Amino acid sequence: MITVEHLRKEFTYYRKMTGIRGSLHNVFHRETLTKEAVRDISFSVGKGEMIGFLGPNGAGKTTTLKMLSGILYPTGGRIEVDGFVPWERKNEFKRRISIVMGQKNQLWWDLPASDSFYLNKCIFGVDDGAYRDIVTELSELLDVKELLNVQVRRLSLGERMKMEILAALIHRPDILFLDEPTIGLDILSQKKIREFLKIYNEKQKTTVIITSHYMADIEALCDRAVIINQGMLVYDGKLGEINQILGKRKLLTVKASAAVEAGAWEAYGTVREISAAGAVLEVPQEKVKEVLSALLSGLPVEDFTVKEIPIEEGIARFYQKEVVMP
Amino acid sequence: MSSYRCVFLMGVEQALEYRVSFFLSMLSAVFPIIIQTTMWNYLYGHSDAAAVFGYQQGEILLYTLLATIVSQLVGTGFEWEMNSDIKMGGLNKYLIRPVGYKGYQFFRFLGQKVPRLMVIGPVMTVIIGAAFWQGLPVSLGRILAFLGSLILGVLLNFSIFYCIGLLAFWLTDVDKLFGTISIVLTVFSGGVFPLDIFGGVVEILVNLAPFGYTTQFPVNIINGRFGWERMGMGFAFQTGWILVFVCLGEAMWRRGVRRYAAVGG
Amino acid sequence: MRKFTRYFKLVGVLAKYSLMSALEYRINFITGMTVEMGWMIIKLLYVAIIYKAGTSIGILTPDHILLFVGTYVLMTGIYMLYFGNFCSIPGMVQQGELDLYLVKPVSLQFLVTMRRIEFAFLLPNLVAGVSMIVTGWRLAGLPVGLVPIAGFLFYLACGCLLTYSLFLLPYILGFWIISVGGISDISAALWDFNNMPSMIYGKRFRQIGTYILPVFVITNFPGLFLMGELSPFACIWGAGAPVLFFVLSRAFWKVSMKRYSSASS
Repeated sequence: MITVEHLRKEFTYYRKMTGIRGSLHNVFHRETLTKEAVRDISFSVGKGEMIGFLGPNGAGKTTTLKMLSGILYPTGGRIEVDGFVPWERKNEFKRRISIVMGQKNQLWWDLPASDSFYLNKCIFGVDDGAYRDIVTELSELLDVKELLNVQVRRLSLGERMKMEILAALIHRPDILFLDEPTIGLDILSQKKIREFLKIYNEKQKTTVIITSHYMADIEALCDRAVIINQGMLVYDGKLGEINQILGKRKLLTVKASAAVEAGAWEAYGTVREISAAGAVLEVPQEKVKEVLSALLSGLPVEDFTVKEIPIEEGIARFYQKEVVMP
Repeated sequence: MSSYRCVFLMGVEQALEYRVSFFLSMLSAVFPIIIQTTMWNYLYGHSDAAAVFGYQQGEILLYTLLATIVSQLVGTGFEWEMNSDIKMGGLNKYLIRPVGYKGYQFFRFLGQKVPRLMVIGPVMTVIIGAAFWQGLPVSLGRILAFLGSLILGVLLNFSIFYCIGLLAFWLTDVDKLFGTISIVLTVFSGGVFPLDIFGGVVEILVNLAPFGYTTQFPVNIINGRFGWERMGMGFAFQTGWILVFVCLGEAMWRRGVRRYAAVGG
Repeated sequence: MRKFTRYFKLVGVLAKYSLMSALEYRINFITGMTVEMGWMIIKLLYVAIIYKAGTSIGILTPDHILLFVGTYVLMTGIYMLYFGNFCSIPGMVQQGELDLYLVKPVSLQFLVTMRRIEFAFLLPNLVAGVSMIVTGWRLAGLPVGLVPIAGFLFYLACGCLLTYSLFLLPYILGFWIISVGGISDISAALWDFNNMPSMIYGKRFRQIGTYILPVFVITNFPGLFLMGELSPFACIWGAGAPVLFFVLSRAFWKVSMKRYSSASS
């Protein structure tokens, strides 16, 4: 469905100096700087797949999404989306995709959202019947049926985002790009939007690429994650397997019944946290049993739990460039 | 005084920041002059226009040139800022500072005029020099009277627009009207055409109303239309109107601030 | 043809939404009208002066001139319908607001330039312009019939297309440079040359304004056609120039868009 090969994007900008002298200097001599937003990214997405696109701020996520949707030309590399080259911007292509950007809105501020939907219906040339169906269906799913005739400026942020998503789906795109769709929203709205996307993706078999700062979004929606950092691909695979790079380790949280000398914990594993009441240890998976029995016999253990290391941690390691994809 | 000087310099710098736009917009002010000069030349060339309008051809051409320049010189823009100061509570800091608000606005207004003056000054000198060359009766006394009336014109226009800006204390959406007010007053002050060409009632009204004394009056001094007697009367009117608007401004300010404090800005 | 009707319908929807939005802010709507009326005073002053002088300009009697200025006033109103969109192009480019328009299966130029339709400025110009045209037409004793009216409307329509194409060009520069304030001032001043019929200007000037930067074509050709004063070549140029400049603005737009897509992040 989507193939990306050796994608590259550079853009130039000017260094600006401050003050009157700086402004004058800029008129005659402008220093051009080049920034490589995307260096070399390759991946592919199958039909109906929903993938999470992760990376720290400025990693090139939004730039990549813009190239996928045809807004920007790449400097190098190849993209094919549903058989089209996005930046040729064929109308046929535009009818098959849709993009929602959390920080940009397309709804008319002073009019009810339904008016903006109607405008999109006209722009995309959707039939009257199909249009009515989709608005009814999606507004029920998103729980905004009563709000369709309320002016957008009177809606809450969460409600507005739901309307933005609805507006982007009026033409039933095959592929949906979501750039930070839940940014700044309250927990409840985030959850509702996640549920909606999940159901919608299952029902419509729409291919979805989503970027988000909230791990909860990605964990709830995507099996697969693509992580980029500084314009480079650092991970592409199952979300659940990210922590493999941390070397299949587990977290052992131990609660002690009596005070334990701080140094004593170190004999059992890598100490992550330590307190009067106990400690958190990082232990290789295959050694968990061994360590536990040693602990139980060696220290006054009252209680313990064994947990996976949170996915965020694995991702954070990628962000810090401590590891690259195996 | 030093704080006023600082405000003045800030105004100069601000106007310089947008210098490219500034020069282009000065240039675009030349176009209306071309249109008007063309029209007057045509009318004077093809009819007995001098008798109809009461201006000689030279007088009216000089008028067209100088009126545009003078209205650029006396023009304001601080009323927008006054409105937002009053509406957004920016006024608070002036109420506790030793710098008076009116003084602040006045010196900043003058400061922003400086870059404009650097272009306008030479242009005006050239125009007047050329007019003198063409036989216009420009005497030293007349030039001094012109400069005096120009300074008074700036003061008068400042006082008028200061009062207009103060309307923000009472009217919620007055800023939306500033554009209209400014265009209409430019017309009434003779900034586009001298209004006394229409004669009769219009001429009497123009002579009585304050607006002509910001633009039309100074221009008519230098283009040689007004004799010393007319000038004297004009100066009396100009000074009178300044006093009226300064007093009006003071009264409005006092009432406005009381209201502002009561509402709680 | 189907594409044409679809775009036509889209303009209808956009116009309806713009009007609905504008009526949410009634005060803005009314003040917008008053600003436009302020500008109109200036335009009417020109006509008043012509009538006062009672002079013809070439073959144009004051009544003809009334019709020409009326055409200019009406065209200004029509231009103002979408002028705001032109002004916001540079800002949209800088803030990356074109992104969401780029993914729509409709011409981007169409969407961006017809995004908002501003009726507040049209209304006073429409009323005054049409009255002036009708009065001038009657007083000048110009022919009334199917052919004259159809021809007049045809060149009016050509003028609309030419206005759109010609005056879009400076704003497309917003893709390349940061501040277009000065350039837009100049283009606005250029528009004002139509305040007087082109016949008032010298021959060389008129030729430039007709064949190189054809601003004069916009408001002079409808009236000239009515008077039977358009040469066969001018008849063709009046219809050809709009097409030529439309193609030019399309090409410039596309080149600039390419830059937007490759240079921004």
